[in-house]
Amino acid sequence: MRSLRAALRRLLHAVLLGLVGAGIVHIVVLLLVPEFSERDAWSRLSMASDLYRMNRLDAEAGGAPVVKSVDPLFYATACRFDLEEGMVRIKAPGNVPFWSVSVYDRSGHNIYSFNDHTATGGKLDAVVLTPAQMIDVRKDLPEDLQGAIFVEAPIGEGIFVIRSFVPDESWKPIVSRFLDQSSCELQDF
Amino acid sequence: MLKNAFLMLLSLAIAVGGGGASVWYALKIQDGVGAIRIGQWTAFPDIGTPAADPYSKARVAREGVLALGRAEGLSFVAEDDAAGDQLKRECTYRIEGGFPTARFWTLYAADQSLGVVETGKSRLAALQSYEVLRQSDNSVTISVGHQPMPGNWLLTDGSGRMYFVLTFYDTPIASSTGLSDVSLPRIVKAGCDA
Repeated sequence: MRSLRAALRRLLHAVLLGLVGAGIVHIVVLLLVPEFSERDAWSRLSMASDLYRMNRLDAEAGGAPVVKSVDPLFYATACRFDLEEGMVRIKAPGNVPFWSVSVYDRSGHNIYSFNDHTATGGKLDAVVLTPAQMIDVRKDLPEDLQGAIFVEAPIGEGIFVIRSFVPDESWKPIVSRFLDQSSCELQDF
Repeated sequence: MLKNAFLMLLSLAIAVGGGGASVWYALKIQDGVGAIRIGQWTAFPDIGTPAADPYSKARVAREGVLALGRAEGLSFVAEDDAAGDQLKRECTYRIEGGFPTARFWTLYAADQSLGVVETGKSRLAALQSYEVLRQSDNSVTISVGHQPMPGNWLLTDGSGRMYFVLTFYDTPIASSTGLSDVSLPRIVKAGCDA
């Protein structure tokens, strides 16, 4: 009888220890998921294309969508950049009903976003750069950067996404062209 | 000795299995940490920002989400109707009420992975605010179902679970101060195919 009770107590002890361990494992796994995920947006995009290459995110361009949860009434395109190589300039010509832009860091956190109401004349012309590069650019602003939107981001690698609204069927070619003609270039300075 | 080894293995199994399973479960459920519920609609305003909680960060990394920024918009997801039943693709619903201020909004019917429902037709299972008919008090009534319906009709097809995703673009409610007194439309079940 006494030995049974002792055995039960040890079993209970082991289960309790296991539960405490489960709590620790829970926290450790949770914090490690972002570090080791191979399914995050950066990894998916890097499988699809190179740095400084615009890559359509919606299924319309053929193939499965690269990054999920894109609104079906939207087209989107993304490019990866590395600010350590220099600042990056994004341009897109033409007029569409609505566009918005987000800058993400390496792990997919939204650092900065703006939409067409922010831009002069609704033209998409933006430069992403680090605060240090911003100081250099301020000293002597080149003529062709006068109208651009400057996004200061204290990051190295990052992702730039343009989303554009497709109100109905007739807008599809126009919005598609807008995104396909968009460019993402390393800017010399 | 053997008994000790067994107890140790048991502890380890509970720790690793329980810890792993609880993370998996916490990341799977729609209603997670950092969610804001308004009626049947759930939003994660902080998801994808550096200020997000560890659960949202893990979800972003695991699912490869590139979340909408504050200047872009805010998404709400509904998985139940007003009576608390799960949304089904074989049922018809009415989504009715006022919509908060935004430049425009889009509404679509989604499957488990929050991709748009395949209808097999050229008509998307999606609507947007520029094409809807409004009542005289500016509220909107949308009928959801497989059969064409008068007024605003959101086409769905198939069977199984369904979600509604309602996204407001360029909206003041995306800045968190506006979220407290926002009211969103109700989802009422109108009937089901047997």
